[in-house]
Order: sequence, then C-alpha cells, then structure tokens
Amino acid sequence: MVAIEDIRARARTLLESGEVRAVLGYQRGSAGTLAEPAFLTEPQQAASLVWDPTCIHNLALYLVNEKKRQRTQRSNDKRPLAVVAKGCDSRALVVLLQENHIDRSEVVILGVSCEGGGVIDPRKLTRALAGRAATTVAMDGADAIRVGTASGETTLPASELLADRCLECARAYPELYDTLYGDKAEGRSYSPRFAALNTVAEKPLDERRAYWNAHFERCIRCYACRAVCPMCYCDECVVDSTEFVVTPNTSADEKANRIRWIQRSPDASESAMYHLVRAMHLAGRCIDCAECERVCPVNIPVRLLNNVLEREALEAFEYVPGTDPGLPSLISSFRDGDPNDFVR
Amino acid sequence: MEAILQKDRLGQWVAQLSTRARVFAPAFVDDVWGYGPVETGAEVPLDHGNTTRPPKNFVFPQREVLYRFRVQDRHAPQITPTVPEPEPAVVFGVRPCDGRAMVRNDKVFTCGVVDPYYQARRDKVVFVGLACSAPPSPNCFCQSVGGSPHSEDGLDVLMTELEGRYHVKTLTARGLELLDAARSLFDDAGAADAGEVERAHAAARAYPQRTLASQEQVVDGLKRNFDSPKWAELARACIGCGACTYLCPSCHCFDINDEITGTSPLAGERVRTWDNCQFPDFTMHSSGHNPRDDTGSRLRQRVAHKLLYFVENHGIQQCTGCGRCITHCPVGIDIVRVTHEVAEV
Repeated sequence: MVAIEDIRARARTLLESGEVRAVLGYQRGSAGTLAEPAFLTEPQQAASLVWDPTCIHNLALYLVNEKKRQRTQRSNDKRPLAVVAKGCDSRALVVLLQENHIDRSEVVILGVSCEGGGVIDPRKLTRALAGRAATTVAMDGADAIRVGTASGETTLPASELLADRCLECARAYPELYDTLYGDKAEGRSYSPRFAALNTVAEKPLDERRAYWNAHFERCIRCYACRAVCPMCYCDECVVDSTEFVVTPNTSADEKANRIRWIQRSPDASESAMYHLVRAMHLAGRCIDCAECERVCPVNIPVRLLNNVLEREALEAFEYVPGTDPGLPSLISSFRDGDPNDFVR
Repeated sequence: MEAILQKDRLGQWVAQLSTRARVFAPAFVDDVWGYGPVETGAEVPLDHGNTTRPPKNFVFPQREVLYRFRVQDRHAPQITPTVPEPEPAVVFGVRPCDGRAMVRNDKVFTCGVVDPYYQARRDKVVFVGLACSAPPSPNCFCQSVGGSPHSEDGLDVLMTELEGRYHVKTLTARGLELLDAARSLFDDAGAADAGEVERAHAAARAYPQRTLASQEQVVDGLKRNFDSPKWAELARACIGCGACTYLCPSCHCFDINDEITGTSPLAGERVRTWDNCQFPDFTMHSSGHNPRDDTGSRLRQRVAHKLLYFVENHGIQQCTGCGRCITHCPVGIDIVRVTHEVAEV
C-alpha cells in the first residue's frame, strides 16, 4: 500500500531542510475529478499532496519546463527539484538522464508504485458513469476502482477504467528512485503489450488510411500532445518559429522563402505531417506515458503512432526505452549485431 | 411566436428543413461531441451535454482563404477574391452560452468595420438553441457572467424540452421562417405550456452552478492586480498548449499567412487561420523581443481579455461561462479560480 502520509512527510522534510527548490506532486484541483500538478515550496503545503488513480500527469515534464524557466529568469538556484514519479514517469526521467538533458543531481525522485494498478482514462470514467461527475476515485485492491458520485459510491472493475497503457503495462513501478512508496508488483498486465495498437495495425492499408485521415481531419492543432510530452524539449519546434528574426534589412524574398514545413492550416495532410514529425522524434524515446493521447481535446489516438515506433525499436533492436540511465540511447548507439540489411 | 412540437415530429421538421438548407446537430463521434451534418431521416436526439468544439466554426472557421494570388512575368499580382458563398445552414442544439458567444463574435467582426468573410457565413446560418434543463458540465457558470440556461441572445430559435414535447420560440425573422417552413407540424402553445416553460426555466436556473464574482468586482480586481505574482504561480502547471482558446466559443484571434500553391508562375492563397495567445509565437515581435514570453503573462492575456479588456472595449464580458477551458485543460487550470485568486475577490 502506498501511504500518502509517508510521501507528505518526505516532502515536508525536503522542504524544511531546504535541500530542494520545490516538490512536484499531485493535489486536488477545482476543475474536476482529476488531481492537478502541485508545485510545493513551503513545508506546510506538503499536507495537500494526494495519491490516487487520478494522478495521471507525467510530472517529468516540469523538470524540462522548469529548466527553461530558470534559464529565462536567470535563476542561480542550483538546488534539485523533488518529483513524485510513477513507473512510466520514472522511465521518462531515465530517458532525460540518458540524453543528458538533466543531471541526476538535479532531481530527487519520490518513486510511487502503481502496485499492479494504474491511472484511469477520464473518457472511460465518463462513459462508465454515463456523464455523471465523479467526486472520488480510489483503487480498491489491484482489480477494482471505487468511484464516488453525488448519488453514492460504486465499485467498477479496474480493467474497465484504467488507461490503455496501464492495462498493457507490465512494469507498473518506478525504474529509478531515491525513495520508493508502495510495493514493486512485477510482471502484471491486463492486456498484452501493443494490444490497442494491434486493433488498428491489423486493418488493411486502405482502412488504416481512412482511419487516420478521419482523425487528422479533426485535429485542431492545439499542440497539447506536443506541449505535454517531456521528451518534446526542443527550443524551437517546426510548427512555431520563434527564432525567425526579421530585421529592417530582411528582404521580402527572405521572408517569403522561409521554409514552413507545416502550414498553419489544419487540414488532414498538414496535420498528418505534424503528427508524424512528432512521432518520429520520439522513436526509441517514448516511454508510453500516453499523456499525448489523454490531453487531446478531440480524442485522436496519438499514442498509437508512438507505439508503432516503440514496437520497431523493440523488434529490430530489442530496445526498451527508459530502463537504465547508464545505457546509451537507441539513436546514439550502435551494436555489431544491429540489423543493417537496409544499408546497401 | 411560440409553438409546441411533439418530440416524435422533430425528425419531420428536420427533414422539411433539409430541403432548403444543410442541417447540423450535435453528434458524438469518437467519444467527442461536435456538430455534424444530419443525414436525411436520421434521429436528432438533442440529449448532448455541450459540444467539445463550439459552433463558432460555422461563422469563423479555423481556416479561411482571403484571396488567391498569381504573379506572372513581373506584372502586378493578380488577385482573385474568395469571399465564401456558403449554402444556407441550420444548426440545432446550440446551448445558450454558445448563442451568447455569437453576440460577442458579432461585436468583433461586424461592429464598426464589417468583416466580409464572417458576415457572408453569418448571413447564411440560423441557430436553433436548446435551453439547458440542468448544467451540462460541472464547470458551467453562465449565470455569473450575465447569462442563463435559457438565454435567447444570439439565437434565432429557442427550444425548451418539456414532457414529450418541445416548446419552440422564434426570436428572429429567420427563426420564424424555420417554423413557417413546416407549420402543420406545430401546435399552438397554450397558457398551460407557458406555465410549464416558466417552471422548466426556473428549475434550470435553480441548479447549483459554479460562481464567478460580479463583473465590477472582477474588472476592478484584475486592474488592480495586473502585476500580481499570482499569474506566474497559477500558470506554473500550464503546458502552453492551445486547447483553452481553440475550444472557446468566443476566442477570435487569427493569423494571416500566404500558402504557396505553385512557383512558376508564383501562385498561392492568403489564408486566415485561428491563432492562439497561449502559443510562444503569438506576440513574437520581428525584432526577436517577445513581450509575453512566459506562461504567466499568457494566462493573464487570456483571462484579462475575457473579463477586463473586452468589457473596456465593448461594455460586456467576453466569457459566457461554458466551462470548456476548465474542463479540457490538461492540467486543470481554472478560469474561475484564477480570476478569484488574482483579483482577490
């Protein structure tokens, strides 16, 4: 059992001693059922921390964002950030460490095991409650979730409410941590790996094309999928050019000939380009936290695009991202045994 | 005029209207509520909460071609105007908050200088509203921003669901035309119906909603706290996506780009697309300076535009309390809480 009191106590100690700049965890929000990210800087705030299956966000994102923030604010505070990390979140931290985006000294990891459970898919919850709002969501053992609503409490099978990636997750515990909360529950998953992907990947090509076209047609290009991804840390993204500086000497030709890889117009073709660029940049890096899919306001199954490349990495290179910060990353390494039949 | 439509005749009314206009209604596709065309003979259930995507697309689509251009042999460019000529459309199931948002969009695009692209689409679309019998979202707060579950602003017709039937009230001449197109389907509304409508509306108003402080308090509070450190604090979790404003029924900022379709001769389209104050390049100056270079100042822009600047410019709040930006924010940023905390009300 994860005892939230233990996490709060640790957060309080870390903040009291001043050894961390802030503690990133989860607290109750005002916007709905889901917990919201919490940035705690005072010891007494530690009491607001919560832990339940609505603690969905991958807080590794904020290590990246806070790094940018510190840079723009020219902050000299070198103390680390403490972060509450589930299994998938900790794997994101491992990738960031592998890529030297962060240093191990910059983070104190409060690892929390999902203990064979996981986090909910808010859309599944809405469906299960036929639109009623949930007030509380808690694991009831590893196989059931207790949901409270204004009209009482119901218990639903975990397999009906958990996010797809949790159903497929066989390692629902932190890979890397400074302190661990809850037990490591090994080798447990409700669905086989890539189960969701297979339902789409097995369709014939023309059906798949129609499937993705319909989804991309709907994309509003809010870029929530990019913005929420801890691995999307480029200073400048192809979709918004913030570095393109126009001076009085910039000619009309230069302005006109600036390459725009992806137009702002949200049609299926431009949006497909955006989504494929995003997915390709995550090859061998995506740890399947599936935040991209959760935050999509129009429910495009973007996780599946990442899964395709994840499967490629696994099948071609036996590579699973986020397991060991000491290993080189997939893209930056070569082994004699790697398949090379595409080199001619 | 007011009339009664038995529920089982809604399909016939829609079928009748389909002969003269494209008919749209809320549709639940891939777990997302949006507006979709109604196929002939299909059901129009009208039991939706509120759509994820607001009906603003009908008048202000995410992409609008302003004109086509073509440059040949160093001559002056040839310009072909592309003001849209849409088919007439009837949109069913518009919630009152979204109707009120249309009034705000009208202010921006048609008061003073008339935007011909917006006007061309606006002229051809008729909005049939549906009064809310209960708040469709836990984040509804229409009554705090001057609206109500049965507000008529911006709508052409307002339907109120009663036992087994709809009370249908026409609000504009265009709304009346929709009824006239199928008069035989409607019964006269009697005094008993009027009483029932009043009771239904009162019951809807009595449902608890989220509450936002009064317009005066908010305006005053936001003005006083323009430089509040709270903006940065409350935006710390903001991931910088554009879901809040792209889903907003009254956000209207746009960007203009040239999209090249051919190079010899040079040809292309000048295109207007939605823009988003939450994006890093929104206020990017050509010098490289960005006056709103962090999430805190961008959150301030969004909230203050809705609840302060729009009031200063047009005398009314821009926000109509639909709650979409709260519900769909990936990290739970809540315009009501943000406003209260910053404005200290």
